[in-house]
Amino acid sequence: MKKLNKRSNPAFFLLILLPALLVILFLTLYPVINTIVLAFYKYNYLSDEIKFIGLKNFFTIGSDTVFQTAFLNTLTFAAVATVVEVGLGIFLALMFYGDFRGKRPFMITVIFPMMVSTMVISAVWKVLYHYDIGLFNNILRSMNLEPVGWLIDQSKALFSIILVDIWQWTPFAFLIMQAGLNSIPNEIFESSSIDGAGYFRNLRSITLPILSSQILLVIMLRTIDTFRIFGKVYALTQGGPGNSTETVSYFIYREGFSFFNLGRASAAALYVLIAISIIALFYIKGIMKEDM
Amino acid sequence: MKKKILCLLVILSIMPFITFAGGAQEEDGPVTLTIAGRDGAYGDAMQLAADEYKKINPDVNFEILKLSGSSLFEKSVIDMKSGVGTYDIVLIDDPNATQIHKAGWLADLGPLYKEKGLTLDSDFIPTLTQLGRYPYGVNGTLYSLPLVGNVELFAYRMDLFEKYNLAAPETWTNVLEAAKVISANEPDVHPVLFRGSKGNPIVTGFLPLFWAHGGKVLVDGKPALDSPEALKALEYFLELAKFAPEGVSMYQSAQVKDAIYSGTGAMAIEVWPGWIKNLDNPDESAVVGKVKVTKHPAETEKSSPMIGVWLAGIPEASMHKSAAFDFLQFLTSSDMQEKMADVTGIPPTRTSVHEVPALVEKYAWYPAQLDGLNNGVARPRTNKWKEIEDALGTYLQLALIGEMDAKSALMEVNARIGEIVE
Amino acid sequence: MTGSVMSRKGLLFWVLMIIVLITVLFPLYWILITALKTPLENILPVPSLFPKKVTLENFFSVMRTGFFKNLFNSLFVAFTSTFFSLVLAFLASYALLRYKFPYKLNVLFLIWVLIVKILPPMVLAIPLYTLFTKVNLINNLWGLILVYQVYTLPYCIWMLFGFMKNLPLEFEQAAEIDGASKLKTLLSIVVPLSSSGIAATAIFSIIIAWDEFLFALLFIRSPSLQTLPLKIVSFITEYETLWGDLMAIGLLATLPVLFFSGYYYKRLTEGFSLGLK
Repeated sequence: MKKLNKRSNPAFFLLILLPALLVILFLTLYPVINTIVLAFYKYNYLSDEIKFIGLKNFFTIGSDTVFQTAFLNTLTFAAVATVVEVGLGIFLALMFYGDFRGKRPFMITVIFPMMVSTMVISAVWKVLYHYDIGLFNNILRSMNLEPVGWLIDQSKALFSIILVDIWQWTPFAFLIMQAGLNSIPNEIFESSSIDGAGYFRNLRSITLPILSSQILLVIMLRTIDTFRIFGKVYALTQGGPGNSTETVSYFIYREGFSFFNLGRASAAALYVLIAISIIALFYIKGIMKEDM
Repeated sequence: MKKKILCLLVILSIMPFITFAGGAQEEDGPVTLTIAGRDGAYGDAMQLAADEYKKINPDVNFEILKLSGSSLFEKSVIDMKSGVGTYDIVLIDDPNATQIHKAGWLADLGPLYKEKGLTLDSDFIPTLTQLGRYPYGVNGTLYSLPLVGNVELFAYRMDLFEKYNLAAPETWTNVLEAAKVISANEPDVHPVLFRGSKGNPIVTGFLPLFWAHGGKVLVDGKPALDSPEALKALEYFLELAKFAPEGVSMYQSAQVKDAIYSGTGAMAIEVWPGWIKNLDNPDESAVVGKVKVTKHPAETEKSSPMIGVWLAGIPEASMHKSAAFDFLQFLTSSDMQEKMADVTGIPPTRTSVHEVPALVEKYAWYPAQLDGLNNGVARPRTNKWKEIEDALGTYLQLALIGEMDAKSALMEVNARIGEIVE
Repeated sequence: MTGSVMSRKGLLFWVLMIIVLITVLFPLYWILITALKTPLENILPVPSLFPKKVTLENFFSVMRTGFFKNLFNSLFVAFTSTFFSLVLAFLASYALLRYKFPYKLNVLFLIWVLIVKILPPMVLAIPLYTLFTKVNLINNLWGLILVYQVYTLPYCIWMLFGFMKNLPLEFEQAAEIDGASKLKTLLSIVVPLSSSGIAATAIFSIIIAWDEFLFALLFIRSPSLQTLPLKIVSFITEYETLWGDLMAIGLLATLPVLFFSGYYYKRLTEGFSLGLK
């Protein structure tokens, strides 16, 4: 990492770091500590019963089949959604690379989905997915095909939600990727095509390495966001059918906000934290390759 | 340098907690009553009452929150617990009442009645005022008043029943018979509709037939889902569900309601007064004059519709208890209930309002509704109902989608509820 | 961009483009026609691709419910919280990039920010509610702006840190040798160089704040202070979903952000071609 020389005045840097530091600490220090402590208690916010129970929350939640399913679903969600979004994002960025007629309006159109309210998006997809009156199944029926249980078939519901996420957030990956791609000087492409390098070799040996920091950034941000996936599940399936679309944040929401079992909710949150921290570690290592 | 930075950080991170330890402010001047209420027709009704009240008491202002059921619960619980007194009147769904009453967050209405020289009006349907007391029953302390007399009803298409000469749905056996006939003859109509979504919806649809088959969720505070009656009820439910739409496991009230209104359903084993008020409005409904709304079928036990009353209470921390109490009296008075029922269609909680001729003419199901409220079954009074309902809803749905057979679903949910009430 | 790249856009390109556009636009088209249909048409067993009878009633009915007040609240909260986040995050990222603080503060800070970003907001909500009631920031748009920093500030810090990581050091060193003050260097060199990153970060932050629901629900009590997501959700009631109204307000709520996207696109392309080569 590039640092200015050591003679520079530390007070200045401290001063510009402080505001953000203060705001973050004010908003989070107490809640985070609170979460860590409560995870070791049986604590119901409504009835005020509070009892130290050591690691019991972690054991009961860890062995709870709903939580296990939720955890697995969340991992699936995060992995599939992130990979597809990054892949499609790179694809679209390559497709949009360079100049062509109508580039600007097309680009603006493509980034529409991420600007529409999640609640509205969920509602419209729910209508489209509807088994009886939804458009998708009506199209299938008119082609004499079997209707698909988009949201009612246990093996498909999770992927139907992932599809909505992909629709909404691929534009995000696309934007970051195309921004990165535009920073690659054209000459690199030109010189390599003079060398006779094939398009895909070019892609692998030049484009992707240059995009690596953008790819890392998108993977990180999307993984975290998909780990918190809540609104779409709440609006589309409420965790059903069965437990097939349970996710960890939905689990935490129910424990915390419906039952107010804050001890259990905190313990579940810590599980998530640990899981994400492992992913984050790789990212931090990647982004701070040098000292630190 | 290092030390200085460290000290600074510690001080700065503690600072906010010290500096901002001030208290909430009291309001002066004309009173503003803040009401944590429901959305939809309930919200319209509350607004109507507030507007009417303001005509007589111009110095009282209102701030009405119109929230979904779960949002209302989250918001009001967190606020009442913090004791700030943000709200002056809070609506409570009756299964949550035990929890909230028990926590002591609501003002005892007894002294307020005494202060104003009033007594609790005996016109309120007795089963409903019991829900507002803690401990539950006739002798508990009164913490909240019944505002909305919701009760589950049963709806069916008279035209289809006549067409195929079917026996009126007086028992659940009749219902299953009718479903079979309609299924055989009407390919475009779903014989049976209910909410199959996980959690509260599927439980709500299931309980009336569960109770009618003699099932009980809790007996003496212990789970009783391993009984033969419970098994019989669930097996019946699964049989009936074969005649429900393919996607029923994702149905919520909107889908059930849309299916009834569009004429694609023959029987809804669960409708609420709020869903059906526009059934005879040609702008919204394709089945004007064809749907009959009645009380639930019986089976081994009598008809057992589920009561789902909204109660209104005054938080202990409210700074305008007296004004809130006056409004609460106005809100639950028979005049106001009549107006609210007439304009917004919300079901009243008073016997006399159910007998107002104009309303009975407008809402043909009022006698059934009154009967349901008087004889309906309230969900078990426990402070763990939300968790029990969630577990029951999960396993019922697993049985519905064929992941589990009826017997093992009941065994497992029984064990899970055992853990919850422990 | 030169001709050699232009020549790649052949038939395949336009076929792909059409597929992409249809995928993107179709759900949006569905939102639009749902907003234009009558309530009865919206629950027909076979959905119609074109409204049989076009009505603007849904839009009027949404506007009658105080939509513009909510729109203003949302705009105010989203832009103000983004502004603060950007300023704070920009300064912090720069400090973290260019100065090695003692006690591994750089890493610790970034990790903490990450933890905050990871934590489910429900975990933060209850303690923060208690805290905010004490400082009278409940039912207050400024309180909402402050609490939104929980979302937007970590986002901005990570995004800007990622963007600014690639800034060349030479310009700053040159400015320093010329005797420019730190602040001047920051404003006249670092800000312009990272403008594209700032613009990109800004729009994401605005979207996050624009779409936020949970804190808005808990922290706002007066209908006149509600933000748009609260309004939107109010059309999905327990007994019915007012499809027409819901989609109408969804469209209206999206327009301001869409309007912004043209400007954003411009900044992004400009910024990158100047900046990071």
